[in-house]
Amino acid sequence: MRSNLEVVRALVVRALNEITRVPGAALPGVLAPTIFLVGLSGVFGEAARLPGFDATDFRTFIVPVGLLQGASFTGAATGVNLARDIERGWFDRLMVCPAPRTTILLGIVASAALRALLPATFLLLVAFALGVAFPGVGALALDVVLVMGLATAVAFYAVLVALRFRTQQAAPLMQTAGFVAVLFTTAYAPKELLSGWLRAIATVNPVTFVLEGVRQGFTGSVTWADTWPALLAVAALLAALGSLAVRRLGRVGV
Amino acid sequence: MRAVSRPAIETVGLQREFKGGLKAVAGIDLAVAPGEVYGFLGPNGAGKTTTVRMLVTLLRPTGGHATIAGFDVATQPGEVRRRIGVALQEAALDLLMTGRELMELQATLHGIPRRAVADRAALLIERVGLEQAAERRVATYSGGMRRRLDLAMALIHEPEVLFLDEPTTGLDPTSRATLWDEVRRLRDEGTTVFLTTQYLEEADQLADRVGIIDAGVLVAEGTPAALKAQVGAPHLDITLGGPEPDVEAARIAVGPIGELLTPGPGARGAQLSLRVAEGAAAIAPVVRALDEAGCVVEGIEVVRPTLDDVFAEQTGHHLEGAGEAQPVVPA
Repeated sequence: MRSNLEVVRALVVRALNEITRVPGAALPGVLAPTIFLVGLSGVFGEAARLPGFDATDFRTFIVPVGLLQGASFTGAATGVNLARDIERGWFDRLMVCPAPRTTILLGIVASAALRALLPATFLLLVAFALGVAFPGVGALALDVVLVMGLATAVAFYAVLVALRFRTQQAAPLMQTAGFVAVLFTTAYAPKELLSGWLRAIATVNPVTFVLEGVRQGFTGSVTWADTWPALLAVAALLAALGSLAVRRLGRVGV
Repeated sequence: MRAVSRPAIETVGLQREFKGGLKAVAGIDLAVAPGEVYGFLGPNGAGKTTTVRMLVTLLRPTGGHATIAGFDVATQPGEVRRRIGVALQEAALDLLMTGRELMELQATLHGIPRRAVADRAALLIERVGLEQAAERRVATYSGGMRRRLDLAMALIHEPEVLFLDEPTTGLDPTSRATLWDEVRRLRDEGTTVFLTTQYLEEADQLADRVGIIDAGVLVAEGTPAALKAQVGAPHLDITLGGPEPDVEAARIAVGPIGELLTPGPGARGAQLSLRVAEGAAAIAPVVRALDEAGCVVEGIEVVRPTLDDVFAEQTGHHLEGAGEAQPVVPA
């Protein structure tokens, strides 16, 4: 058990090298959500006057979208890095070591959870500087859990894609799914303002629950009624995508 | 603890067929004894790497079975992985990490306790002569240094069986010699080494026994000396001189001394080949016989059978990059 934790720790440290040793590599993923926040609130800021926004400032309304987009990008990056490791043969090294496959998978995706805090922190600092109100320590702690959870879930998905295609050329496939999953929620308007198919998708999309869970601290107060669906949605995504990734990894080699 | 009663590596009818019906490995039987260096020789695409990938649990066999240290690769992969060290064809290293960091990561991946990781890494780094470069990122290493680091990483957990897949491909002669020394040292220490190569000299120099693979089939197996002996005795390549060399007279003169061979297509007109059991000892009588027949000898060279000759005899073609020697077939 202890040696398995050591393996997870060692793989996380290795993955974090990408940030500490090639700072530029993490820059797009860190900046993109903040750019979205600033750009979209400039373009659609007046939309907050519509009924349903409950007088919430649009910038405040979409801060959670940026947080989840950052988590999504980070999770996808984990898959891209794995595809690179497959191409370069590093993955074979992992596959011939005696550590359990589940441990190796956890080591690979756990870094996504930690790395997701980087764009989230930057985004929040900019948002607070632009006047977004501090949501409170409790809300922020919940946001951290949900952001890390979603990043890990997307990482599981991206690992699945990387193991299936075994090439970095599959990167768009890894990145698009998370982006679309966040987009087809109540990302840019309350559910009441969404029309037709988008409203239907947002209603069943588990990421909507995650988004609302993150949003509650920014637009009001944190309630258990909005918290448990978010936690359940993240847990379900982790369980579903995680078990698929474990299964897929188990089919690599013997 | 090494068990000596069973082969370190054993395969029975080992096969791997890929989608589309390509049979990369078509039923290989081999047994490698503990402490033996086994050279797996064959041209590109012969099935060497596919065989290794099955033996190290990276690829599931589609037929037959294989055991490593007594454990089945298909049903007991975890036990197999604990007992093997692997250095695959491309040295798979993280260029952002230093040599020492990589060694320590590899030690952790193999379950070496944290308190012992640093010491073990330092020991192996010293063994492959990378102390001065240990704190540098691997991106700054030469090809030879990367190979040595790769080898050290494969040895971090003191494996019973070491797989080296074309370890010297692309290396300069000095780096190649260094790696050869390390393989010899491993043999002296009793480690079983399964070495794939396309270099004849490498198999000849390092392997206790050689298996020759072509088109997924093991076509010959034995010690290098025994394999070469199967091909036959050495032969003399004789080049005649003078303004008008009389090849026919020369053939009549040396015919009783050995077996005349038909020179390969690259041989010049005034040249003949003679298989002689005595090797170099036959030079003197040959020169005398030619002299008595009035033939001028411009040059004479003893050509000993190589593993490429073994390969050619078994498959009808030569190994890629096996050298410039021309094929010689019985007259």
